[in-house]
Amino acid sequence: MLKVEGLQKRFGGVAALRGVGFHLPRRAILGVIGMNGSGKTTMLNCINGIYQPDSGSIRLDGKEIGGLPVHTIARRGIGRTFQVPRVFSHLSLLDNLDVAQGQMGLSAAERYEASSYWLNKVQLFGLRHNFAEELSGGQQKLLELARIMVAKPKVILLDEPFAGVNPGLAQLLIAIIAELPREHDCSVVLVSHDLTSIYQLSGHVIVLNEGTLLCEGDANTVRNDPAVIEAYLGA
Amino acid sequence: MQSADHAAAVEASRRQDEGGERLRARMAAAFFAAVIAALALVPVLTGNTSFAFYLMLWITMASALNIVVGFTGYLPFGYVVFYGVGAYAAGICYKVLGWPIPLALVASGVAGICLALLLAPTLRLKGVYFGIVSLALATIMRLIIANLPSDITGGSMGLILSSSNNPFASYYAMLLVMAATLLSVLWLAQSALGKALKAIRDDDGAAACIGIDVPRTRLVAWLLAALFPALAGGVEAWHTNIIDPEYAFHVLITAKSIVYAMAGGFGTIIGPVVGAAVLLGIDHVIWQKFPLINLLLLGLVIIALMLFLPRGIVGTVLKRRPQLRRFIA
Ligand SMILES: Nc1ncnc2c1ncn2[C@@H]1O[C@H](COP(=O)(O)OP(=O)(O)OP(=O)(O)O)[C@@H](O)[C@H]1O
Ligand SMILES: [Mg+2]
Repeated sequence: MLKVEGLQKRFGGVAALRGVGFHLPRRAILGVIGMNGSGKTTMLNCINGIYQPDSGSIRLDGKEIGGLPVHTIARRGIGRTFQVPRVFSHLSLLDNLDVAQGQMGLSAAERYEASSYWLNKVQLFGLRHNFAEELSGGQQKLLELARIMVAKPKVILLDEPFAGVNPGLAQLLIAIIAELPREHDCSVVLVSHDLTSIYQLSGHVIVLNEGTLLCEGDANTVRNDPAVIEAYLGA
Repeated sequence: MQSADHAAAVEASRRQDEGGERLRARMAAAFFAAVIAALALVPVLTGNTSFAFYLMLWITMASALNIVVGFTGYLPFGYVVFYGVGAYAAGICYKVLGWPIPLALVASGVAGICLALLLAPTLRLKGVYFGIVSLALATIMRLIIANLPSDITGGSMGLILSSSNNPFASYYAMLLVMAATLLSVLWLAQSALGKALKAIRDDDGAAACIGIDVPRTRLVAWLLAALFPALAGGVEAWHTNIIDPEYAFHVLITAKSIVYAMAGGFGTIIGPVVGAAVLLGIDHVIWQKFPLINLLLLGLVIIALMLFLPRGIVGTVLKRRPQLRRFIA
């Protein structure tokens, strides 16, 4: 589905990514962990076109997407959320989702159907006429997830979806993410500091450290890898 | 059976939600229709059309500016350049090339669009830089026109279109331009394009991430925001018969457009109309009662507005009384 190889990105003197790669099969959830500044967000930014990678290849269904403009990559089926939520603050929740379907050639009724489905799913339907700025930070994260899902993406990149979300909402988020692959044919790249939920959701986990791949494997392998324990858990 | 119930529930709430949106659009349309009808009657009912003419001009300027500020979040400090170029295009086509007035006015619009296309690369700049570059470009444009051969532009004396005088026809031409502006705003507010523009205004990076082609979408708003002031400049030149190079590119014209739109509320549909009407009305009264200190008083009124109604008249009402959001946009 999504194949990333040899991704490199420098910012002046800082090498944020030094040859990172992974393969995300269809309907899988790939966990990404790593310390602050290890390059997780930079990797997502390269994949969805916010940054131009210095080198490396990014292929979606076998087609190279590296270097395409952000909106083109979005239209090819890659959605993403942000570490700090970025909702359209002066649009209603309904319009936040409506505008995300603007490129799909749907009727207003079809768009409304999808919007109300996802608003119900994230339990925000009752607030649909509110401005997005009137939501709490955690609710904004849920709205962001709904906003990318209405566009029926093939792959979604979630940057710290649980950060700043209270345990109740986090439980809801975990439940929703868990069913995305099966019910919505969506593959997920999940960046998180919350190891418990990563281990719970992801079959395969990669660990970044200073822009390189420290190790990868299933949750158990990674959890018990000495290099990870030393670098990441600081044990 | 449950899914049928569910579908019916979705359908019901969709009807209700769409009804609300349509109601707001209808209210705004009714308001605009009333304004247009009232202004259409002015020449028939009274001989003094000057106030009404400038009211239409400023409604056009403020509403068109609202398209770029309210819908994309960009504040072009050099906005006057479209108005000035429109005035000169009409003047030169009429006076130098000998075109009939209607054709000269088409040339105004075309000139505005061409200039907007020329300036389109500046839309890639971030907000503040965009505003400043736009101001610089307006100044450059004024200098270029002032330094063209004076048998084309009239040099520092400007152009006088004496034989074209037709206050009645030019009044209705301005009415037409204003009506077209208001219709465009109404259409934009309802359209998918309008929603995309508001998304860009709130967060252009996030807008790109949901598949919106940000530069192209901004360009549409930019072209609309250039077309109407250019037409207004052309019609005003026809109405007054004079194009003065100082006035045609005066920064005060940008400032007034901003203040009127802001007084009503950027991003609301009817705000710029309300703002232009209220402030022009106040200006008119002050000018008659206190001719010596009118600018001072007007300045105080504007400061008071910004202090107490920072979102503008309409914007503040909507913020304070959310229940009115059902009716007013
Ligand atoms: N726009 C930028 N300009 C300069 N340096 C940057 C930029 N973005 C990221 N970096 C640098 O790249 C490195 C990786 O940053 P990145 O944000 O990808 O880390 P992260 O793994 O997401 O960290 P966190 O867990 O704190 O979110 C850091 O050293 C950061 O300072
Ligand atoms: Mg990060």
